[in-house]
Amino acid sequence: MKLSENPIFLTQKRLVHRAGVLAAILIAALIGLSLLSGLIAYLSAPISFGFRSPQEAGKVFYGWIIGVEILVLIIGGFGRISKVLAEDRKAGLLDSNRLTPLKPAQIVIGYWFGAPLREVYMSAVLAGIGLVVVLLGRLPLTLWFGTQILIVSTALFLGLLAVLMGLVIQRPQNGAVVPALLIVLLPLFSFIMPKYMLSNFLLPVYSIVNLFDTRELADEHSFRDWSGSPEIFGVPIPPVVLTLGLQIGIGIFLWRAAVRKTANPFRSPLFRWEAVVLFGILLFAQHGLMWGVWHGHFPELSVGTRNFADEAPMLSIVHCGTLLLAAIVLAFASPLPERVRLEALRTGVGNFPLAFSRSALPLALVLLAVAGIALLTQCAAEISSNWMIFTVAFGSLLDFFLVFVLLLEFCRLRFKRRALGFVCLWLFVLCVLPFILAGVFSEAAIGRLSLLSPGVLALANSQGSNDYGSAEPDFLLLIVLAQFGIAVLLFFGWRDQWRRLFARAAAIPQAK
Amino acid sequence: MSSPLLTIEHLRVDFPEVVAVNDLSLTVGAGDVCGLIGPNGAGKTTTMRAISGLQESTRGSVRVGGHELAREPDELKKCLGFMPDFCPVYEQLTATEFLDHFARAYDVPNRASRIFECLELTWLTEKRNALCEELSRGMKQRLVLAKTLLPDPKVLLLDEPASGLDPLGRIELRKILLQLRDAGKAVLISSHILTELSGFCNTAAIMERGKLVTFGTIAELGQKMGRRRMSVKWRADGGKAMDILKSANVKNLEAADLGATFDFDGNADALDELLKTLVVQGVRVCEWRGSGDDLEQIFLQSGAKELM
Repeated sequence: MKLSENPIFLTQKRLVHRAGVLAAILIAALIGLSLLSGLIAYLSAPISFGFRSPQEAGKVFYGWIIGVEILVLIIGGFGRISKVLAEDRKAGLLDSNRLTPLKPAQIVIGYWFGAPLREVYMSAVLAGIGLVVVLLGRLPLTLWFGTQILIVSTALFLGLLAVLMGLVIQRPQNGAVVPALLIVLLPLFSFIMPKYMLSNFLLPVYSIVNLFDTRELADEHSFRDWSGSPEIFGVPIPPVVLTLGLQIGIGIFLWRAAVRKTANPFRSPLFRWEAVVLFGILLFAQHGLMWGVWHGHFPELSVGTRNFADEAPMLSIVHCGTLLLAAIVLAFASPLPERVRLEALRTGVGNFPLAFSRSALPLALVLLAVAGIALLTQCAAEISSNWMIFTVAFGSLLDFFLVFVLLLEFCRLRFKRRALGFVCLWLFVLCVLPFILAGVFSEAAIGRLSLLSPGVLALANSQGSNDYGSAEPDFLLLIVLAQFGIAVLLFFGWRDQWRRLFARAAAIPQAK
Repeated sequence: MSSPLLTIEHLRVDFPEVVAVNDLSLTVGAGDVCGLIGPNGAGKTTTMRAISGLQESTRGSVRVGGHELAREPDELKKCLGFMPDFCPVYEQLTATEFLDHFARAYDVPNRASRIFECLELTWLTEKRNALCEELSRGMKQRLVLAKTLLPDPKVLLLDEPASGLDPLGRIELRKILLQLRDAGKAVLISSHILTELSGFCNTAAIMERGKLVTFGTIAELGQKMGRRRMSVKWRADGGKAMDILKSANVKNLEAADLGATFDFDGNADALDELLKTLVVQGVRVCEWRGSGDDLEQIFLQSGAKELM
């Protein structure tokens, strides 16, 4: 079915046009034309501006235009798609569409392309004016093509994520949370080590800045890290290619998840193997980007590598990112206990092996193996001397993965609809509270009890000598072992809750 | 019963704390209008959602137009029209645009004329260019009914279709349902207002607490419920008629002006025989009505606890 014949797309188009698009287009045009007029004013009287050349002026004005374009198309489009889809889902319209012979993929495409049409019109106007700015500023057309391709690809990539969000969020306005988090969190990491952070390539921050050709500004400290091609395990890859490759690779999984969730809202959006591959792609890409810093000799920096570790504990940040990513993947892949109970009712088999096989616990162990191998790439060449650091970091990953999965499923089984609040509470207690208490009592050792601390501290030890003394890794290992005890306790509680669930399944009450 | 277009076998739907539908089996044939009756929480809406595939079932099978839900969901969708008990409409579309959306989705041939037909059938022709948000609840309900009829499905699931309609609308709805019945469609309809179903339902399924209490044709159900209250009227010879009734197997006989009411325990043949006796004996019977044929009566006798 062509897009122009897709009923969802056509209806969204009608709805967008009915709500009015002229004002939005005029706003975009006014912003674009204001910036264009600034460039024209500079070209007519360069003396009154602080630019060194028309090219520099063109880059500044074009930079502003694509900034607005990103805000409108990527951030605005994301919010629009998730909001429209969540509203239609709540109103029962998604169900009505699902009952038609339309294929789930057609429904996804309809919302993906139809809902953000107003934002598409606005960004098209901005892109057109941007082209004029590029031409007047005597900038290469590749800059315009490259940035526009990256903006469109990112809008499509995040649009798929927005579709998925719209299919799961409870309140339509919750869809704005993800773009808000991106705006707040991305700058925190993007500028620490631009060429080594995956987020700078998954979202095209590095690729766009790189297209602006910062070589002339590379002398300036702030732009030195934004020139040249990134390397994956030592292989240089053009930043645009890396961004498009990552977005397409992960986009395929998002697409499959969105289609699957549209076809059957009761199913998990990710198959287990998909969760593992997705996790692997992201983790190996991140470690691949950072491989050039140590070349497998962590914590000894490679010759010629800038000492980033002086500015930021890079591997510790990646470790935290790994924990966050694993938590997201495990939360998506973990089945609702009710699903397992229904399966037990269907098959007549309600026992512990069923709970274990359906739980995200085996998946957590597979993800742990993937994370361990990825981490090993940083220190494989020096493993004989660094085995303790690796063991602590790996043990910390093991503790967190197990505790997170067991806690999530325990709370879902025990507290049902209130599970999220209790998961947050216990993660706060296990991960954050020790740091707060360490601050309150001015005792740093309390902070090391956090579930995050052993791995972060071990991997922050990038210079061989550290502030914790030579016995510190041993102490961290003891903490890891103690924290494993939490996982063991949770395991017993988790097993008990499954037993209770299966017991309830065996004696189902009649309807009220 | 004619060839079944909708077959449900041992359907079970579980919710976290309750079995919403438990071992439900029923069939609706071509030309049948089956009333799905039950108090709130009986599982009527869940049953309909499970038939359409919107609600996952734990066990059992659903077959619509020969297509099994678990194996051929796409083929099944083409045979099925589901009207939910609320009105999901795109508020900013006109009535025609709303129907056009679904006509395209169902790939309906001659879209424009079919949309016009459905608007006409649901008395919305005058409102065809009105935005959905401007329509009253009853009109929205009619619009959703038009949407349901659009692809001309073999099987219709109508969940409380009359709840938002005014008296005139209900009369028109009844006409539409009779037309659908005559056209050989299989209709499963739920309603709280049992008197509305009485006129056109030829079968009924009574549900309570997720279970099917009873299912069958209206006449069968009347018999199943045992004693039925009969009403007879005559033009003359009242004394002779009363004598015949007293000698027959009737209970609680009450005389009325040129007529009587009584409880009858026998089956349909015995009842026919009693009428025949009256006529042969020269009683000029002008009305012979059994209140046991009434859905409300059947429902009340079924033992369902709560009548809404």
